[in-house]
Amino acid sequence: MTKPVLTRVVRRETHSPRTVVTVVVLVLIVVAAVYAGIEIVLHLLRASPLLVTPGVALAWVAALPTAEPQPAIIAGAVAVAVIGVVLLWLAIAPGRRPKHSLGISGHAVIVDNAVIASAVADRVRRELDLPKGAVIVGIGHRAADVTVRPEPGQVIDRGRVRSVAENELDGYASSPRLKVRARVLQYAEKEGVS
Amino acid sequence: MNATNRGMNRAVLFITGLVLLAAGGAAALASAWPVAATVWQDGTRTALSWMKDAEGASRISEATTVSGFTIGVLAVLLVIIVAAIAMIARLGGGRSSVVIRDETGDGVQGPVVIRQGFASDAITRSLASRSEILTSRVSASRVRGADVLHVSVTPRQNTSPVKVAETAIRLVDNLATLTGRETPTLISIHSGVRSRLAADQPRVN
Repeated sequence: MTKPVLTRVVRRETHSPRTVVTVVVLVLIVVAAVYAGIEIVLHLLRASPLLVTPGVALAWVAALPTAEPQPAIIAGAVAVAVIGVVLLWLAIAPGRRPKHSLGISGHAVIVDNAVIASAVADRVRRELDLPKGAVIVGIGHRAADVTVRPEPGQVIDRGRVRSVAENELDGYASSPRLKVRARVLQYAEKEGVS
Repeated sequence: MNATNRGMNRAVLFITGLVLLAAGGAAALASAWPVAATVWQDGTRTALSWMKDAEGASRISEATTVSGFTIGVLAVLLVIIVAAIAMIARLGGGRSSVVIRDETGDGVQGPVVIRQGFASDAITRSLASRSEILTSRVSASRVRGADVLHVSVTPRQNTSPVKVAETAIRLVDNLATLTGRETPTLISIHSGVRSRLAADQPRVN
């Protein structure tokens, strides 16, 4: 990636913008503020409140420690705190999307992990002459899990599975690089019979 | 790809989260722990009496309940509402209809602007003729003053992403040769329901 503008584009495409959560939070803030404003205006006009007058609401907050039922109050307060923690987490966590950027050209190339997984699975399956669905690949941020379930009587070498998968991934030059973890399952007897 | 201000999104979430955590934590503590309860009650009593004093002192006239204090509260609420709506309205955007622009016009032909529709048609038509590619979409956006072309491709499952990318890059490079100008390009390769349904082409192994 030679151009700085593409570096920026890649970072934006591989990380979540948190737009949906932000919109929900902002809409709730607007609703709460509008409601509070309506109650205050109704109070000023000496009209009857929608739910509760501002004075009564504030007095309730002040008397919260003695309010009944106490367990429900505590549960509600903890729930509010947990929502706060979740929002803080969303604000701070990187929010990576399941995508990798490939360094194969001067242009920016971004690939869904599922595309990488299916391509690697297909390559392993063809090279090792395995039946359809015998190779399962999971792509994480830094690792590729390759699980092979050979047919009865077929002997598959774990090292060979890994080298085929690594060979395929080497051509991708993905960032971050993917480390291959290969696994060969033993064919369960009962599955073969039934 | 859009021009959403992500720092602002995260700032909104951070501040709201902090407020909720503080409020919820304090309320839970006050309900569960007598020492915190007395602190809570003392604090709220002081705040309430301060609010009553401020409200009473800033009454506009004896006859009404309208006071400078309540008007101030309403103004703060209004500012919050306007700010939140403005933030929602500013999300997204940044799409551009222009792929290549040469507005200085120092060439023989004068100012040149190539619209996104041209590049889009050229690239999607070429990609549509390839059997391993199910759908493609081309859009342009403006990032930090530079036009960026975004080619988004959904290939059939089990297709090597490198091959798909090379096909797309070749088309983009051809376009660059044709127009004599290289546009920074993002190629994104997606998986989706369609790619899974159209998993395997019939093959002879």
